[in-house]
Amino acid sequence: MSKRDWYSCDGYGQVKSRRKEGVDRMAPTIGFTRRSVLTGIGIGALTWLSKGSALSQIAVGPRPGNQVVVVLFLRGAADMLSLVVPYREDAYYRARPNLSIPAPRTARSSVIDLNGQFGFHPSLQPLEKLFKEGQMGIVHACGSDDNTRSHFEAMSAMERGLARQEDGPGDGWIARHLATTHPSTDSPLRAVAIGSTMPDSLRGATHTVLMESVKDYKIAMDQAEQRRWITSELAKMYGPGEDEVAKAGRDTLDVLSTLNHVQQPSSSGQYPDSDLGRGLREVATLIRAKVGLEIACLDKGGWDTHVGQGVTVGLLPGLLDDLAKSIRAFTDDLGPDMSKVSLVVMSEFGRRLEENTGLGTDHGHGSAMFVMGGGVKGGKVYTKWPGLEKNQLTGPGDLIATTDYRDVLGELLSERLGNQATKVVFAGYSPKPLGLFGAST
Amino acid sequence: MTTRRECLKIAALAGVASGLGACAPLARRLSHRGFAPIALPSYTPPERHRFLNRIAFGPRPTDYKRLEELGKAAFVEEQLSGDQPEDPELLLQLSRLDVLRIDGIELRDINEDEMLRQLQTATLLRATYSQNQLRERLVDFWINHFNIYGRKGKAAWRIPGNDVWIRENALGKFPDLLAKSAKSPSMLMFLDNFYNEKGHPNENYAREIMELHTLGVDGGYTQKDVMEVARCFTGWGLERGFLKHRDSFSFNLDRHDNGEKTVLGQTIQAGGGQSDAEKVLAILSTHPSTARHISKKLCRFFLGTSETPWVDSMSETYRSTGGDIRLMLKPLLLSDDIATSPAMIKRPFDFVASSLRATDATTDGHKPILRHLAEMGQRLYEWPMPDGYPEKTSAWTGTLLARWNFAIALSSDDIAGTRVEWDRLPKGEVTRLILGEDRSLGNTDRQAVALALASPEFQWR
Repeated sequence: MSKRDWYSCDGYGQVKSRRKEGVDRMAPTIGFTRRSVLTGIGIGALTWLSKGSALSQIAVGPRPGNQVVVVLFLRGAADMLSLVVPYREDAYYRARPNLSIPAPRTARSSVIDLNGQFGFHPSLQPLEKLFKEGQMGIVHACGSDDNTRSHFEAMSAMERGLARQEDGPGDGWIARHLATTHPSTDSPLRAVAIGSTMPDSLRGATHTVLMESVKDYKIAMDQAEQRRWITSELAKMYGPGEDEVAKAGRDTLDVLSTLNHVQQPSSSGQYPDSDLGRGLREVATLIRAKVGLEIACLDKGGWDTHVGQGVTVGLLPGLLDDLAKSIRAFTDDLGPDMSKVSLVVMSEFGRRLEENTGLGTDHGHGSAMFVMGGGVKGGKVYTKWPGLEKNQLTGPGDLIATTDYRDVLGELLSERLGNQATKVVFAGYSPKPLGLFGAST
Repeated sequence: MTTRRECLKIAALAGVASGLGACAPLARRLSHRGFAPIALPSYTPPERHRFLNRIAFGPRPTDYKRLEELGKAAFVEEQLSGDQPEDPELLLQLSRLDVLRIDGIELRDINEDEMLRQLQTATLLRATYSQNQLRERLVDFWINHFNIYGRKGKAAWRIPGNDVWIRENALGKFPDLLAKSAKSPSMLMFLDNFYNEKGHPNENYAREIMELHTLGVDGGYTQKDVMEVARCFTGWGLERGFLKHRDSFSFNLDRHDNGEKTVLGQTIQAGGGQSDAEKVLAILSTHPSTARHISKKLCRFFLGTSETPWVDSMSETYRSTGGDIRLMLKPLLLSDDIATSPAMIKRPFDFVASSLRATDATTDGHKPILRHLAEMGQRLYEWPMPDGYPEKTSAWTGTLLARWNFAIALSSDDIAGTRVEWDRLPKGEVTRLILGEDRSLGNTDRQAVALALASPEFQWR
């Protein structure tokens, strides 16, 4: 059962047929028959054990400048009321006798004021400069319609681009974005996920791979002839199939062939030695290598702070420290190239206003999103703030989401990646732009 | 498959490019709740090959013979018993692992990395060499069902105990598994239940026990039920006292909310103490949604789909037998439906174990091979969320390169501590062992092994 058949009939995207030339394109570079390879290295001794010369790496020239969107998903429901603190709200301090962050300048470690109403958690200090220099905007009290308060339902809904977990297209919103736009180059690597499992937002996408590092993305054989031989054999095996694995195999071969020519550019950022730090360094490498990347996805987990959340030291501050330092390293590293990059930070929902007895917070509703980089009209908190008093909350006492998360993503796609079909991407929902983008860069 | 044909026909009539096409409702129904229609391979392996890929971690060369000698019915019975004697070599390898030899407090001398490493080694060795393959498959299933993240708190030191009751009850009764899990130090810690006290109860475990462990997200509970179940579990915790009892389950009445509660429409009288949550476990264990949720998950695991009449019959067996897993599975395993069921992607753990089995390789299960598993995305005991490693195909297709590199390294005997026993493999017939049928791949057995393990077909089970 070909996935393409389903696309054709559900009409959610004008999915291009799989580029057969993907495999063909490799043929000239292979240029070795199995026989010649075998003769060359000796049939009897062939165990692929020998360590030899590596294929000399060739740098290719820059391609026309493209926009890149980086999506960073904080998995486990980040407590956005601690990240962007509504420090004017008395209700916030009443509900959190132990877990609130002191208002600006009232304690040694206190909220960093942003606009007289909201302020950063002190551990987000590295981001203060980005906000104040206008490179970063914040959308507060946003989210989906999910009311299950289940991580998995809420994440799935968001990654499918839906209001809540319901019937609808089963592929991811990024997959539909890719299917509804023309690639600006013939890159086999339009989207990449950094990590160890593919996020649902990329489900159904072609020209997409998962990697942990650019440098290690190669066939682990030392001799170039051996690599070429096995690559051509893999291309034969993965050439005909229309199933998920065969398609993914062709993507993998295409990306291998592209990255073969990428010289690892040196990185100037001071990245933390963390999964996120390393991941963003890889994204910066790919952006600088100009391989035609359009979207990169990263995850940072650990936000499910039911217990021992911490105020200025502890679980959450530790996560925030890594988050802020990693992002700052990324923007510093890219420097002027950041004008072509948009970074969005999101989470599946926010957390309960009231703290629990384990000095933690339970699953809530309204969340916040950060948008950074090129064209962002930053230095502003975009919000229709619903308030935190009892009658202003939803469900068991949660922040209301007054802005649909898709309004942010939709504007990002249309303004930065030229997507004219965001209604298709979001399965019938027409995103309402907030005016987040448009600053000249 | 008529649905697909109909769908294509309508699409052809309506014109594919007409925006939201005529089949949208159908496609939506099929992709219900996020399960996108997965493009499956057209290739179907021989029946016994698929059977051994489902009931076991793939065939070992000797399995075909055993299956032939016993016949399918006796083979299934043997596996359902779960008490086949293990090979001395496996027992010897396991006996060298501190995590299996040493109990409780003594383990504190081992660091977290080494704890997890040894647990991964033990699990990989058992999946590869145990004679009780079905039991080990179910151990994998239940470890993920009651997932514990080995790097949260002191989980790593509590997992060895966890694996014991999971293995003992893998083919037993579901309510026993649930009760063991609720009182296990690892779960009490992982989902924060041991911090749960009256006042503002902690909802973490209350939510996941209903959503993931029992009823399923559509199982008919509300946010109010989550909050009431959380109240029932207040006071559940771990003994902090003296060495001998440290870390065993304890109940602290002072921390318990002893008021009346209503859970899923049933009243739990005030003053119940520890029995409040035990009543919750009973309500959840006997709930029809639980029977259905567990049946669906088992069907997806063994049959690759939950869109099957087997869900109804297994749910019925659950209800009539008090959740007897052995009886729920038996008719399914004896039927011919597995042979014709949809293909499922192998998770990396499955891929590695089945590669070792198909090539009759020996391994110490130590770091070099575990590193390959990590590169494919499945460091055992290190999935941080409570839902366990994903089953869905799309989660795993992004790391094919790591699988290819494993296939190359294994066939080159380039993984320290792991070796293919080439002398034991029939010359020129390795593709049949790996893929279930002869294929012309490569020019040498080494090449054939590398290509067969790296092939698209071998990624499915």
